[in-house]
Amino acid sequence: MSITETSRPGTAGSAPAPRRMSERARAERRLGWWLAAPAFVVMLLVTAYPIAQAVYESLFKYRLTDPDAREFTWLTNYWVILTDGVWWRAVGVTVLITAITVAVEAVLGFALALVMHRALRVLRPLLRTAILIPYAIITVVSAFAWLYAFDINTGFATSWLSWVPGITEDTNVFGSFGSAVAVIILSEIWKTTPFISLLLLAGLAQIPNDLLEAAKVDGATWWQRLYKVTIPNMKAAIMVALLFRTLDAFRIFDNVFIMTQGAQGTEVVSFLAYRQTISRLEIGLGSAVSVLLFLSVVLISVAYIKLFRINLASARGEA
Amino acid sequence: MDERTTLRQKALWWIAGAAVLIYALFPVAWIVSLSFKSAADLGNRQFLPADAVLDNYEMILVGDAQTLFLSALRNSIGIAVIATFLAVLLSTFCAYAIARLEFPGKKVILTTALAVAIFPVISIVTPLFNLWRHIGLYDTWPGVIIPYLSLTLPISIWTLSAFFRQIPWELEQAAQVDGATTWQAFRRVIVPLATPGVFTTAIISFFIAWNDFVYGISLTSTEAARPVPAALAFFTGASQFEDPAGAIAAAAVIVTIPVVVLVLLFQRRIVSGLTQGAVKG
Amino acid sequence: MGQKGVAAGMAVAVITAVAACGADAEAPTLTWYINPDDGGQAEIAERCTQEADGQYRIETSLLPREASAQREQLARRLAANDSSIDLMSLDPPFIPEFAEAGFLAQIPSDVAGVVTEDVVQSAIDGATWKDELVAAPFWANTQILWYRKSVAEEAGLDPQQEPVTWDEIIDAAREHDAYIGVQGIRAEALTVWINALVESAGGQIITDTEVPVEDVELGLDSPAGRAAAEVVGTIGREGLGGPGLPNQDEPGAMMQFRGDRGSFMVNWPFVWAATIDAVEEGTLDEAVLDDIGWTMYPAMEPGEQPRPPYGGINIGIGAFTEHEDAALDAVQCIVAPENQAFYFVNDGNPAAHTAAYDDPEVREVFPMADVIRESLEVAAPRPQTPYYNEVSTGIQNTWHPPAAVRPDQSPETATNLILDVLRGERLL
Repeated sequence: MSITETSRPGTAGSAPAPRRMSERARAERRLGWWLAAPAFVVMLLVTAYPIAQAVYESLFKYRLTDPDAREFTWLTNYWVILTDGVWWRAVGVTVLITAITVAVEAVLGFALALVMHRALRVLRPLLRTAILIPYAIITVVSAFAWLYAFDINTGFATSWLSWVPGITEDTNVFGSFGSAVAVIILSEIWKTTPFISLLLLAGLAQIPNDLLEAAKVDGATWWQRLYKVTIPNMKAAIMVALLFRTLDAFRIFDNVFIMTQGAQGTEVVSFLAYRQTISRLEIGLGSAVSVLLFLSVVLISVAYIKLFRINLASARGEA
Repeated sequence: MDERTTLRQKALWWIAGAAVLIYALFPVAWIVSLSFKSAADLGNRQFLPADAVLDNYEMILVGDAQTLFLSALRNSIGIAVIATFLAVLLSTFCAYAIARLEFPGKKVILTTALAVAIFPVISIVTPLFNLWRHIGLYDTWPGVIIPYLSLTLPISIWTLSAFFRQIPWELEQAAQVDGATTWQAFRRVIVPLATPGVFTTAIISFFIAWNDFVYGISLTSTEAARPVPAALAFFTGASQFEDPAGAIAAAAVIVTIPVVVLVLLFQRRIVSGLTQGAVKG
Repeated sequence: MGQKGVAAGMAVAVITAVAACGADAEAPTLTWYINPDDGGQAEIAERCTQEADGQYRIETSLLPREASAQREQLARRLAANDSSIDLMSLDPPFIPEFAEAGFLAQIPSDVAGVVTEDVVQSAIDGATWKDELVAAPFWANTQILWYRKSVAEEAGLDPQQEPVTWDEIIDAAREHDAYIGVQGIRAEALTVWINALVESAGGQIITDTEVPVEDVELGLDSPAGRAAAEVVGTIGREGLGGPGLPNQDEPGAMMQFRGDRGSFMVNWPFVWAATIDAVEEGTLDEAVLDDIGWTMYPAMEPGEQPRPPYGGINIGIGAFTEHEDAALDAVQCIVAPENQAFYFVNDGNPAAHTAAYDDPEVREVFPMADVIRESLEVAAPRPQTPYYNEVSTGIQNTWHPPAAVRPDQSPETATNLILDVLRGERLL
């Protein structure tokens, strides 16, 4: 998801728009709409329509196996969810996973980007290829790989890690909350750090070399250069990468589904929504969870943009 | 800085490089190793199989799980390819308009794409499921392809409009001045310039469609449309009560092969696509 | 494609369409949704297709591994009035929900008579809802107690002669530092275990099953429920179920049982077939096989009758099928005693029909056939309610991990959660 592109606005070869719309401009406008419309309409149809439907259905008590008992209950479903510890616990676990994942990925992704950026020329294509493999691999496959590596019946990982205090070959990693969440986070980090590191790599490549050279001449150490020159100069890239990873991590589903099915208290919000609608067939309640999840994502986006003053448009160079 | 690298630095870079390689490839090596384990080996808790066998591949390609896996593979390939094609087609038009034409509403389109990209998939699965039941799209290819567009369209639009903005459109006019028709100019000058971007977008879209799990498990229920990630939950071991780890590992390896091949062939393009214009200026 | 190509293509399409129509009129193709097995159901489908001699054809379509996931798949399709579901292999606990929702076609009394004749009672109960047979008993599962003769002997127990209790098993495991094979995974298997314990202690998870959802009463918070919690909690807390207990399922328990610290295990009869296979493949020492004994499920108190778990598969007919008559014929063929016997031998899943237990081949492969049959006669079904999923999930969420189960808390917590969920006041 590279949403952060930055080319200049409408630099396209067309002439600057005159005040009064000429025939040509009008034709161009029509053509633009015609070309853009299909994609736009499809995007709206597959998201806006369903979410509107979800909002509507969330106001009902409605179970798929008992359609006759369908009943309009106003905001009862929301009240039930928001007063239930299960929801807040799922939110807590999701936030925990998101926070750790994003924090580790930011550091690790930056380190990977630095290695790729400055590695010997012979190494660069090799490293880039290697790093793309976790990015491109199916999340479910990654989840299974980590599951079976740590599973008490099939895994080698606990015996390899038995030098760590508290871990023995017979440690049941998926038998308690802490270790189960740790492996879920590991899988998530492994799979998605490459995305962050590639975005950061692009950011690194944009830093003018003479700035760094100048800092070097001034006697700045490697760390000083990193903190004073490199990072400030790629702040926009870092923030945008973090925003997207945060939203992505908050929607975590596949890893939890495969590894624990929410057991050991590892339930996350997406999984909670899935269980209400798909497993319990409680369409009303599940829709309400879905709507709340959607609102959470919106809230996070707004918070990021306000707090860190990310201007997505400016990141694209359009403001 | 290459010219100033000392031997020591060189060694350090090789070590760092090796660390990155291990990081990226170790879990893949493990799932490959697992897929070659025999039923007896699955429980030995060693990294490598005691005796590498093809049992698991046999099971999913010619054995009991054949219909399950091969139909899922067919669905995955068909659905991902069609979803990619449609996304690229629609987004090429859209991105062309955004990059090339002046019209109000560009910002709305890009913002919509952004909003769709951050949309929690699970939130729309239930309403889609209900709608699909009513109009007969549940458990069909189109029933999966259409929602996949919500995953592939936004990124395609963004990546492609970034690519297209970098095309020197003046060349087209230059060609026209040289006597080419509009269409000729477009085909001879612009198409070759745009193709790499379109191609890269297609690869990235394909990865995303190939990766999907939520739609796959929620909107399908038979071999008619179930893609591979969803089908993995259906595997059993040699008998119904045995651990399905081997079969799952073998299937996982097979569905990983296409992405590895794409990565090996097009790594440079994919990187440039992912980071296209990400932080320029 | 040129003009000719198009024409040829259309001709082919027309011909296939005609052919399909013709076939349809003569022999409807029935789709049978089956749970994963060792190929027995596919083979039976084949056999019945042969036997029908052109009257109908049966095709199988696979459901997921987990029982709850099977229910999800079927319920979602049936809620959409899907006519492509002709036959389905149903896990008994979900039958009331399907029957109540009108997902199952009626079974006429003459057919009902045929498919229940000489069938073990628990299987008939499992296929019945509100006094009507709504599915055909196909195979009936029950758990028995498997033990390592060497361990039992050392512990001074003779399960063959003297029925054992959970307390005795726990003591023996404690003393000999051995693992008890039980299913502690947060899944249907855990409910199976808990239900058997509660029933064996003379209780019931749901006391009256056919009342409206608001009036459901739970029997968990009772002496029987607390006794069950005592067993689960003790095994969990003292690590007697092995380190993997919180995610141990049936195959996991079997693997542990075959290992060095195996002692006693409650599990389905597939264990026997799978263990013989393992010996034949050379992955297991024959000495282990020879060391395995079997007897009735453990009792809660000495001298009391245990109520082992009842499971299995019954065949339901989709309410929206377009081929009801053919489906009814097919059901009778599928559950025919000889097919049940075949399935018993081939897949290791015990028959619902008593005649299968006298089948010489069955008796040869399953020397414990009599114990299984005896167990089936007293087996207790899981609560029969249209809200089974809520009840089972509620129990799984509150009685897990086993080490956290407390007699004075868990039954009450589970009761409150399930009742709140049923009233729509809480999430699950």
